[in-house]
Amino acid sequence: MSAAIEYFQFVLAPQMLIGLVLGVAVILVALGLTIIFGLLDVINMSHGEFYALGAFIALALAAVGLPFWLLLMLVPLLMLPVGYIVERGLIQRVFHSGERHVTTLLLTFGLGLVLEDVFRLVFGPNPYKPETPIVGGVEALGIFIPSYRLFLILVGAAIIAGVALVVYKTRLGAMVRAAAYDRNMAASLGVPVQHVYAGAFAFGVALAGLAGVLLAPLYSVFPTMGRDFILMAFTVVIVGGMGSIAGVVVAGLVLTQVQAIVSLYISPVWSDPIVFGIMVIMLMVRPQGLFGRLGHG
Amino acid sequence: MTHTKTTILAALMSATALSAAYAADPIKIGVVTPLSGTYAGIGQQVKWGLELATKEVNASGGIMGRQVELTFEDEEANPSVAVQKADKLFQVGKVDFLTGTVNSGSTLAVGQVAERAGKLIATTVSFADSITGDKCSPNVFRVNARAGQQSAALAVWLSKEKPKAQVFYLGPDYEMGRSTVAAFKSSAEKVGANSTGEVFAPLDSKDYTQYFGQLRAAKPQVLYTSVAGNDTVRLFTQLQEFGLLNNLTVVGASGTVTAQNLGAIGKAAEGFVTGVGYSAEIDTPENKKFVAAFKAANKIDPDLYGADSYGLIYAYKAAVEKAKSTDTDKVRAAFKDLKWMTPQGEKTLRGADHQAAQTMYVVRVTGGKFKIVGQVNGSDAIGPDACTKF
Repeated sequence: MSAAIEYFQFVLAPQMLIGLVLGVAVILVALGLTIIFGLLDVINMSHGEFYALGAFIALALAAVGLPFWLLLMLVPLLMLPVGYIVERGLIQRVFHSGERHVTTLLLTFGLGLVLEDVFRLVFGPNPYKPETPIVGGVEALGIFIPSYRLFLILVGAAIIAGVALVVYKTRLGAMVRAAAYDRNMAASLGVPVQHVYAGAFAFGVALAGLAGVLLAPLYSVFPTMGRDFILMAFTVVIVGGMGSIAGVVVAGLVLTQVQAIVSLYISPVWSDPIVFGIMVIMLMVRPQGLFGRLGHG
Repeated sequence: MTHTKTTILAALMSATALSAAYAADPIKIGVVTPLSGTYAGIGQQVKWGLELATKEVNASGGIMGRQVELTFEDEEANPSVAVQKADKLFQVGKVDFLTGTVNSGSTLAVGQVAERAGKLIATTVSFADSITGDKCSPNVFRVNARAGQQSAALAVWLSKEKPKAQVFYLGPDYEMGRSTVAAFKSSAEKVGANSTGEVFAPLDSKDYTQYFGQLRAAKPQVLYTSVAGNDTVRLFTQLQEFGLLNNLTVVGASGTVTAQNLGAIGKAAEGFVTGVGYSAEIDTPENKKFVAAFKAANKIDPDLYGADSYGLIYAYKAAVEKAKSTDTDKVRAAFKDLKWMTPQGEKTLRGADHQAAQTMYVVRVTGGKFKIVGQVNGSDAIGPDACTKF
């Protein structure tokens, strides 16, 4: 019995805690993705590069002396106009064609490639490692967790709650959900649909940028960093139900726990195939995901 | 018919006469090396090392009175491109000798081209043991230290510093990672280390913390790793973040921590130990002279690739002068057990497998720089001859 408790305390619990950190990181990246998909019906293939853009902006601003805590506020604000311009200037141009999924997917995929090369040209191919803003760790019941990872769990939870609050409890959120459900009806009721679309895209991009700032001290900053989370984030969005915020949270937590616990027992190389396998089964059995689309109840 | 024969005979005779008349023609050395792409930084060092040695040799009268001429081709670190460029240099460029390949696959492929063309090549960079092991070729030489020599040197250091150490292994899950871990594991176990576990993480893992449970449970004193590039940055900083670097000695492959990622790893790289064939810090008159000349020409310190490429030109010079010819068979015989001087001291080209034996160095990251903490004799590090083809 004591062996089982010891196993839980020293092996299983720390592993689950590590999985929780990864889960919050994945959810932060996937949140913006699911909002953009749920509202605009656009699969944003450049989402990973916006995540990287946030990290690079933070890196550049930190180099001129701005503190991390200010960047946490500033970078998402700087990302808002970027997202707004991309939506109005690029996505709207191909949005109304019959092949919307194909054209927007190709457009954002191309944009991602361009951004990645721009990072390479400006910052070079070598990685940067920002200083961890909170050093040291906390130990409770024999389980050790670095302070910054604990901070990430708390801040991540606050961000997720804040986003859910805005989308489900405010007038702005109601307009967004209305536009997602029926854009013509919403427009005829006086909702400025064009601006809601661009604004929602900008909001999703700002969330990606915020994730970039938060995760850079853990995972370092380099041009191809956008590829890190994107597959996992897409999987979470698909399993959770495209466009559902609750779905992203549940799927994000469950899938990363599966990964963390599975890699204790079998070769970690298999943890990705297992997660993607769950996605494939989900698509076959329940293609709409765990929860429905944004604005569709 | 007789007429044709006479013409051919005449042509042959005039060709012989011509080559005799122009004995002072330059000796042509082809260089197929990556000048663009991921390995461009390595190709750059190769080019600088070869150019510096060629300049010195030419200034002191060349090889047997003949000047040396280098011809560069970009192989993009891609074996199929390397094969085309090597073929071009042998057939059209009429080079006498070829070097420069970086990627081990390129070296193996170009070796086959050289066999067909009846010419000799040497690599100054490739690590894969097989090049002078089970895939050896009578036409291929290696003047740099192979992976086995690097891990042997590290294992000797380990047995002195941490006798009977408990070692845990963490490698990237592909050919290079599995072979480096296997090589070091066998070297380390031979000198008395105990293996407490191993884990292979996918290439480009973002979070190594999920393997820390296994690492902690194994309670190792030493961690051997062969991850490279960005992966090293993440592994080392995450180890530091979880406080695992205390009381743990981290050792690894020579490509794990390099000038390219050392800055990003920062303090977490302190104390990292690896085995290499060269360091700019080697304190000998030959090396100091070489480093000064290299820095004057290129404004940067030489690394192992620059130093080994520099040394190759002197090996070829010694062999051609011994053979008194650039003929393939005669030079091959002259290379056999050749001893020559390089920045890292005297090297011996073992005749049995065409692998150079050299003093190996153990370096440790101290204050953000690689400091030499030990060395191992060439004969102790080279390992057995595994070549059965000649």
